Amino acid sequence: MILLNYIASFFLITLGLYCIVTKYDLMKSVIGLSIMDYGVNLLIITVGFNPGGTAPIFTFGELNPDSFFVDPIPQALTLTSIVIGACVTAMSLSLVIKLKEMYGTTDTHEIRRLRG
Amino acid sequence: MTHYPILAIMAYFLGAFLIVIFGRNRAVRNTLGFLGTAVPLCLLIMLAKPILANGEIIAYWMGNRVPAGGYAIGIALEVDAFGLFFGLLIATAVFVAMIYSFSYMSHDDNEPQYYTLFLMLCGGVMGLVLSGDLFNMFIMVEILTFAAVALTAFRNTVFGALEAAFKYLVVGCIGSTCILAGTIMLYAQAHTLNFAQLAAFLPGNLNIATIIAYALLFIGFCTKAFLVPFHPLAADAHGAAPAPVSVLISGVLTKSGLYGIIRLTYILFRTMNLGTVQFWLVFLGSVSMFLCVTMALAQHDFKRLLAFHSISQIGYVLTAAGLATALGVSSGLYHAMNHTLFKGLLFLCAGAVLHETGTTDLDRLGGLSKKMPVTTVLFLVGAFSISGIPPFNGFASKWLIYQATYQKAVESGNIGFMLVTVCCLVTSTLTLASFVKVTQSVFFGQLPKEYEHVKEVPFGMRLGMGILAALCILTGIFPGFVQNWLTGPAARAVFQANGYIDAMMGAGYADKFGLADTLPVSFTSVGVWSPISWLCLLAIMLLAVAIVAITSKYDAVSKAAKQTDPLTLEALESATAAYLPTAPANPAPRYATGHAASGKYELFFGGEESVFSQVGGDDLFWGFKHNWRHYFKFMHELHSGIVNDYSLWAVVALALAMLYAMIIL
Repeated sequence: MILLNYIASFFLITLGLYCIVTKYDLMKSVIGLSIMDYGVNLLIITVGFNPGGTAPIFTFGELNPDSFFVDPIPQALTLTSIVIGACVTAMSLSLVIKLKEMYGTTDTHEIRRLRG
Repeated sequence: MTHYPILAIMAYFLGAFLIVIFGRNRAVRNTLGFLGTAVPLCLLIMLAKPILANGEIIAYWMGNRVPAGGYAIGIALEVDAFGLFFGLLIATAVFVAMIYSFSYMSHDDNEPQYYTLFLMLCGGVMGLVLSGDLFNMFIMVEILTFAAVALTAFRNTVFGALEAAFKYLVVGCIGSTCILAGTIMLYAQAHTLNFAQLAAFLPGNLNIATIIAYALLFIGFCTKAFLVPFHPLAADAHGAAPAPVSVLISGVLTKSGLYGIIRLTYILFRTMNLGTVQFWLVFLGSVSMFLCVTMALAQHDFKRLLAFHSISQIGYVLTAAGLATALGVSSGLYHAMNHTLFKGLLFLCAGAVLHETGTTDLDRLGGLSKKMPVTTVLFLVGAFSISGIPPFNGFASKWLIYQATYQKAVESGNIGFMLVTVCCLVTSTLTLASFVKVTQSVFFGQLPKEYEHVKEVPFGMRLGMGILAALCILTGIFPGFVQNWLTGPAARAVFQANGYIDAMMGAGYADKFGLADTLPVSFTSVGVWSPISWLCLLAIMLLAVAIVAITSKYDAVSKAAKQTDPLTLEALESATAAYLPTAPANPAPRYATGHAASGKYELFFGGEESVFSQVGGDDLFWGFKHNWRHYFKFMHELHSGIVNDYSLWAVVALALAMLYAMIIL
């Protein structure tokens, strides 16, 4: 079960990289970045998951050494990571809009004025 | 005193947010910007005495959540001499760039947004170097990446600005994602994100997950430092960004990547006593150094050329840091400091030229020394520094790097490190060559008619450049001071990981893991006089000359074999005569006799119009370029400008790093 999660997360990361490398369209590059980001988010959540654990919400009286719960830190990290992923998407899409206005295309082979 | 680091970071962010609210008025905005960069600089200078001189380490736990039961729970700021050294560098460069911006950006729209992003970038880098928490470091990496991308696209009507920003965003995000994935894999193994605890845990627990995390983090920080597979992004971004932002990207942002690499390899994983890891860093550094300097030779844009030189100098730093000797690390840090100073100065001079003439195209500029004498002198200081000419700071650090690589070769008995010395020397020569070209084609020669009206830049910009030039000279004249009070303590902190762990997690924590500081701490100071090493250096230089001579001779022989060059002067002139109706019917005899006498060099030194020769007459090194034309053509085609190619390089670099790390660790 957990193993499947790990496989899925690395598959997503690889898929995102594959998409960025092979698709000659700015929009698809942005989609690739998002997919890669989701893969990492899944990885973070999986790392903190304990099978059978409860939600990590306790008052001080309830918390004792036998408490069995999922690790709360990766969940906090995932939230941060999701926010950053949203920023990446927003910023890259705004750049794509301006690029489309200026170059008239979203083909990466056309957008290569800076080279050499 | 323990609150100074967090105050330094928050001053930048507070300045950024206050400018968003109150930044409509120019005076308020400039005051906030000035305070936002001056306050952190003062705070860090006040920290210099306890940390750099007395060797204290500041451990600051946010919300006072100190470690309990041997586990670091809270987020920490950890300031040792190594972090503070980079912090001081960054604060200085940022302060100067801010002063320069007041005049430079005064004609732009959206100034409040510019200063907000500027301060966000500064805060991100400062947070990164003072942080003691891996995830916190990732957040700061993201902040600085976003701010840098936005600032690259800030003048979005400039040629290529949007394109450069998009490429930087895509490859930069691949790097950031690598850092995040590496962070989380370390967390899965060690259940902590604190540097000190990781540094105690990791050296004894190298398994497949931590090794892959090592490769991921390494490549992530390489992206931030723009080392070799990522260097096109730096060139693109520098060309399009405003000049003060180029200072930030080259002087500050690349330092954050270097900081990450050194922190990772020396303190977190403590792998630098392995010869294979040393080879990895030295190889990467040497390749960056040489490849980027040859790329720079072929550039026709002022800022793009400077960008490639910037990565070349970063290669020096990584090479020296990869030697894992005390002298190597301290000389590498010395060069990192000098790189921030002289490269900042050069970019500001390029910005001054752009500000007055409106172009950075080397083929169109010329003769500006008559109109901009102060800028010319300051540029020469920067150019001499980067080329390593004696009284300036580049000489001191490059000299130490030659010494360190040579000493390493003698100590380890590995002849490869001598080749590294040769590579450093050749790169330095090529750097000088390309700066001769820049100086000649921008500041000397004939002044084009369109720039008759050009004036000297305003005082604010001259002040910014002057501060950096003064620092370049001071750090070059007093290398002993720098070595004893800045780079020496920082290098010592790099090697004393146990002291760092104990300062954070409580005394005796490192001993529980059975770790020993295996690396050397003491080192010889600058200017060590040993005649034998000088003689050997002379031999190495002769060897370098011999290699160049042999290869050029081989080239001459191969050229003599195929004498059928269709582009003779007569053919060219007749072609030109047909092409230009105003060309003289009878070319002056000087050409003909000169050509018969000494071939292509007469063409070059004769001072003809560029239409009569194959290349522009203002290019001093066209002979060199002609001999290397296949290499330059190959490199030109390789840097295709397609974002997919650059992403592919990133993926290949990541895969190679993972494979190599798995083999060696």
